[in-house]
Amino acid sequence: MIGYIARRLLQAVPILFGVAVISFSLIHLAPGDPIDRFRTPTVRPEQLEGLIRLYGLDRPVHEQFWSWLSTYVQIWRPEAWGYSFLDGQPVLHKIAERLPATLLLGGAALLLTIAVAIPLGILAAVRQYSIADRLISSLATVGYAIPSFLLGLYLLFFGGVVLGWFPLFGMESFGREGDPLDIGWHLVLPVTSLAVQQIAGWSRYVRASMLEVLHQDFVRTARAKGLPEHRVTYRHALRNALIPVITLLGLTMPSLLAGAAITEAIFTWPGVGLMGVDAVAQRDYPVVLAFVMIGGLGVVIGNLLADVAYAVADPRIKL
Amino acid sequence: MTRLAAVSRRTFEDEADAEGLDQTPVRTYWHLARGRFLRNRLAVAGLVVLALLVVGSIALPALTGDAWRQALLAKVNAPPEVGIGADGELVFAPLGYSDIGQNVLARVAKATGTSLSIGVAAVVIIVGLGVSIGSVAGYFGGWVDNLLMRFVDIVLSLPGLFIILALVSFWGGGSIWVIIIAIGITSWTLAARLVRAEFLRLRDVDYVQAARALGASPLRIIARHMLPPALAPIIVAATLGVADSVVVEAALSFLGFGISQPEASLGNMLTEAQTYFFRNPWLVVWPGLVLVMVVMSASFLGDGLRDALDPRQR
Repeated sequence: MIGYIARRLLQAVPILFGVAVISFSLIHLAPGDPIDRFRTPTVRPEQLEGLIRLYGLDRPVHEQFWSWLSTYVQIWRPEAWGYSFLDGQPVLHKIAERLPATLLLGGAALLLTIAVAIPLGILAAVRQYSIADRLISSLATVGYAIPSFLLGLYLLFFGGVVLGWFPLFGMESFGREGDPLDIGWHLVLPVTSLAVQQIAGWSRYVRASMLEVLHQDFVRTARAKGLPEHRVTYRHALRNALIPVITLLGLTMPSLLAGAAITEAIFTWPGVGLMGVDAVAQRDYPVVLAFVMIGGLGVVIGNLLADVAYAVADPRIKL
Repeated sequence: MTRLAAVSRRTFEDEADAEGLDQTPVRTYWHLARGRFLRNRLAVAGLVVLALLVVGSIALPALTGDAWRQALLAKVNAPPEVGIGADGELVFAPLGYSDIGQNVLARVAKATGTSLSIGVAAVVIIVGLGVSIGSVAGYFGGWVDNLLMRFVDIVLSLPGLFIILALVSFWGGGSIWVIIIAIGITSWTLAARLVRAEFLRLRDVDYVQAARALGASPLRIIARHMLPPALAPIIVAATLGVADSVVVEAALSFLGFGISQPEASLGNMLTEAQTYFFRNPWLVVWPGLVLVMVVMSASFLGDGLRDALDPRQR
C-alpha cells in the first residue's frame, strides 16, 4: 500500500511538471503584459522599466520559468510561490489565508451532496419504477440541466433579493465575525448552488449501482435465508453498492474547487476561487499560476485518494 | 445487426426473390438506429427543441434586422409590442425592451445563435483533436499510446473552467475565436479517451487484421475500418459537448471575460439583467430559460442517440 502510494506520487511529478509548463507558457506568451495597466501618460518610462525588472519580466521566458518553478519546491521559505504582482504579498501566504473559506464551502457542499444523494439513490433503487423513483429521476434530470452559476444567480435573486432571507455577499456579517451561526447562514445559498448538480449526478449513480447489486446472487441468498428486508438493503446491498461511488469522491473534489471559482465570484465568497478570478482580471500572473497548480494538485490527490479508498473498501482489489 | 450481416442477407434475398419466397425488406444498421431513436420520445423532443432554437436564432434576427443591437432611448423598459412600425418596418417585441431599449426577444435569439455557434465550433475542435489523438494512441499502442495518454492526464489535471477563463482573458477577451479555441483545446480529453478505448478493442478484430494483412495503410485502416464503428460514442460525446461549451461560454460572459455589449450572449444578458433586476426582473428569466433548454434537450438527445446507435451499451 505504502509502496503503491509512493509510486503514484512519483508518477504525479511529471504530470504536475506538465501542468506547470503548459500553464506557464500559455500565460506568459499571451500578448500584452501585467504592467499594461500602469502605462498612462503620468507614469515615467523609468518607472515602467523598474516594474518590469521587479516582476522579472525582462528576463528570457525560460529563465523566468525555472526561477518560478524552483520557488514551488521550496515551500518552507516565506517567499515560496513568488509574490503577488498586485500587493506584493507572498502568494503562499495569500492562499493560506483564503483556503479555509474555500475548503469550508467545498466541504459543506460535498457533505450535503452525500447526505442527500445517497438516501435518494437508495430509495429510487429499492422502489424501482415507483412514483418516488420517477420523481427523483425527473428531479435529477432537471437538476443536472441547470448550470451551477445560473442556479447561484437565481438563488441569489430569490433567496437574497426578493425574499431577503439570506445575505447577498461575503461569509460574515459586519460585527458578527466568527459566529458559526452567521457563517452557516451565509453558506446556505452558495452551498446549494454548488451541490444541486452534484446531487443530481450522484443520486443517479447510486441508483444504478444499487440496482446492479440488488440483482446479484448474494442478495437473493440473503433474502432466501430469511433476513429482514432492511438488513438485506442496508447491510448486504448498500455496502457493495457504495464501493463504486467512492470513485465519484475523487472526481468531485477537484471539480468542487474549480467550480467554486465561479460560485465564489457570484456570492463574493472570500475564498481562493474569488482570488483566482480577480487575479485573472488584474493579470496577477503568480496568483493565477498558483491557482492552476493547486487545481492540478487537487486532481492528482483526488484520484489517488479515490484509488486508495477503493482498495480499502473492497478487499478484492489489490494495489 | 451489423452491416456485414445485412449484406450477406441481401444476397440470400436475391436468391429468395428469384424463387418468389421471402420478401422482407432489408433493414440496415442506420434503419434500425433511426427506428430506435424515433421510439424514444424524450430524445425526439430534445431534437425538436434544439431545432426550434436553431431556427428561432436564425429567423428572428433576420426578421427584425438590427433590433437586437439598437438601443432606442424611446423604448427604455417599454412594454411588449407586436405590429408594423411607423416607417413600415416589422416591430416584433413580445418580450418587451431592456433597460437600454433593446428588443429583448431579438437579443435572446441573437444570443442563442452566438452561443450555439460557439458550442458547435468548439465541438469541431474537440472532436478533431480527440479523434486524431485518440486514434493514433489506440491504433499504434505501446510508447506512442503511453506518451499521448500522459499528455491527456496533464490536460485533465488543469482546472478546466479556470484555465479557460485565464486563456480568454489574456489572449484577447471578447473575441469569439479565442473563446472557441480556449474551450476546444482544454476539453478534448474525454473524446480522445473514448476513441482510444474503441480502437484498442478494434485493433485485434478479424476484419481489421485482414485489412492489415492485405497491406492497407494505417491511415486507410483508421479512416475506413476503425473510425466508422467507433462513431457512436463520438456522436454522443459531441452532442453533450455542445451543451457543455454553451454553458462555459455563458459563464465566461457572465463574469465579464467573454462577449460584451453590443454583442449578445446568454451570459452577458444575465449580467445586465442582474444590474437592472429591480426594474425588470424578467430579463433574468429568458436567457436562463434558453440555457436550461439547450442543456436539457442536448442531454435527452445524447441519451437517445447512445441507445439508438449503440444498443449494446443499454
